[in-house]
Amino acid sequence: MNDAIRMQISAFVDGELPDNEADLLLRRMGQDAELRHKVAEYLAIGRALRDEISVPGVDRIHERVAAAIDDKPFTETVEIAGTPSTKSIRPLAGAAIAATVALVAIFGLQQTMSVDETDPAMANQAVVEIDSGYTVPRPMDDQLRQYYLSHGATATENGANGINSRFVTLRLSEDAIEQSAEDEDSSPAVEADGKPVQR
Amino acid sequence: MPFLQRQSLSQFVLICGSLLLVGPAFADSDEPREWLHRMGAAVQSTSYEGTVIRIRGSEAEALKVVHQVADGVIREKVVSQEGSGLEIIRNGNEVHCILPDRKSVLVEQWDDQSTLFSTLPSSQIRFGNEYDVSIVREERVAGRQTKLLAIRPHDSYRYGYRIWLDTETGFPLQTELIGKDGAAIEQVMFAEISLNKEIQASSLASSYSTENYRWFNQSAHHVTRSVDSDWVCEDMPRGFKVIATHEEKMPGGEAFVTHILYSDGLANVSVFIAQLGEGSAQGPSSVSGSNSFSAIVGDHHVTAVGEVPAITVEQIATSMRPR
Repeated sequence: MNDAIRMQISAFVDGELPDNEADLLLRRMGQDAELRHKVAEYLAIGRALRDEISVPGVDRIHERVAAAIDDKPFTETVEIAGTPSTKSIRPLAGAAIAATVALVAIFGLQQTMSVDETDPAMANQAVVEIDSGYTVPRPMDDQLRQYYLSHGATATENGANGINSRFVTLRLSEDAIEQSAEDEDSSPAVEADGKPVQR
Repeated sequence: MPFLQRQSLSQFVLICGSLLLVGPAFADSDEPREWLHRMGAAVQSTSYEGTVIRIRGSEAEALKVVHQVADGVIREKVVSQEGSGLEIIRNGNEVHCILPDRKSVLVEQWDDQSTLFSTLPSSQIRFGNEYDVSIVREERVAGRQTKLLAIRPHDSYRYGYRIWLDTETGFPLQTELIGKDGAAIEQVMFAEISLNKEIQASSLASSYSTENYRWFNQSAHHVTRSVDSDWVCEDMPRGFKVIATHEEKMPGGEAFVTHILYSDGLANVSVFIAQLGEGSAQGPSSVSGSNSFSAIVGDHHVTAVGEVPAITVEQIATSMRPR
């Protein structure tokens, strides 16, 4: 990787790279694991230096992606990028190519960053996984959600008492209720007395 | 209740009884397993009220918690201080998850042993040779004196833990899930807490009028039946053993899925084996510190799920084979 690319990455992370150059960089990130990894490093350094969660370069991509998908808030589609639901991904199929490319790039980036933050030794392996075999991690579909919940329940029955599994259950329950509520929006099933409705 | 569980429970009761007799002596003990036992008892019997901070990566959330144990019945209220304002009200085994922004309530059934802030590992956990357990030092957490208990794995197939135990009661005031590099993947800590204070009934009631909310029942119980499975893991990380095997029918599904639970005494991994169907997804996924990996093995769809590193579920899922 030459100095020009490094400077480009640095400008991108700082949100100072012109849009046309950012587009090219994003396209390359979608195909180049080493580049994604390098950008992830720069982002991590930037975050550490600024002691902040928001990163200008990424924020700009968020804004562009949001604009490309009819002004839908970006967080609706990418805040669960590690476990995207089929439903949240689907609307992007018809979106502008630039947005899709950007999304793939960010997705890979977040995957890389996520691994970097927890276990640096596994970063290379994660990048390999993205490039060979699976372009995206498995979506959090109903089957997988049921597996997580069943695992938590069975592990607890057999003596496990983990705080983590309870939080996982909690988060999945929240997702489930959100999903159920959305499904019900078109055909409300509220009983007059407000009693629980069996699903 | 299976025999082994009954046995563990009776051992647990025995330990709790012993603790009541020798309780004061424990405060000076540095024997880690005694502290683990003491923690197990404290988690089951302590009423408390406080604020919990949960940190994972760059995300942090605060939860207000009120927890009461009276006559063996757990009542609990957990209110998220961020985002949707999620509120969880527990009365015995019935749990209402209230989402005020969606005007919806999800009803769940939790078993007796599950509490939101019960922490790991309880006295029922059997440690193998895969971890070292030690009392590291004393520190102050939430204004109280604690003993820091460290659980270190011998390899990278499992997480480690640090648990700060209240010196006076044994209650866990802070826990950390530790990755291979020694950094905390997730932290859960009390910013402030009142232990064993009298809890008013009004403190446990929902803050919202849910009369006109939509209610949903979470399918609590999967249909299960015990089986002997022909499936084995050909490259199982050391120390994991089969704890339970059964078949279960997932809510909304008709076909039975084989479910094998493995444990190394602390970390648990479930393997689900289903007939390959259309759209059987592959690859990794994660929720908080839990990871999963799905793979296709012959004409089966195999998914490993557990509170272990991603490499562990991947290795297990991809090395499952029928005998």
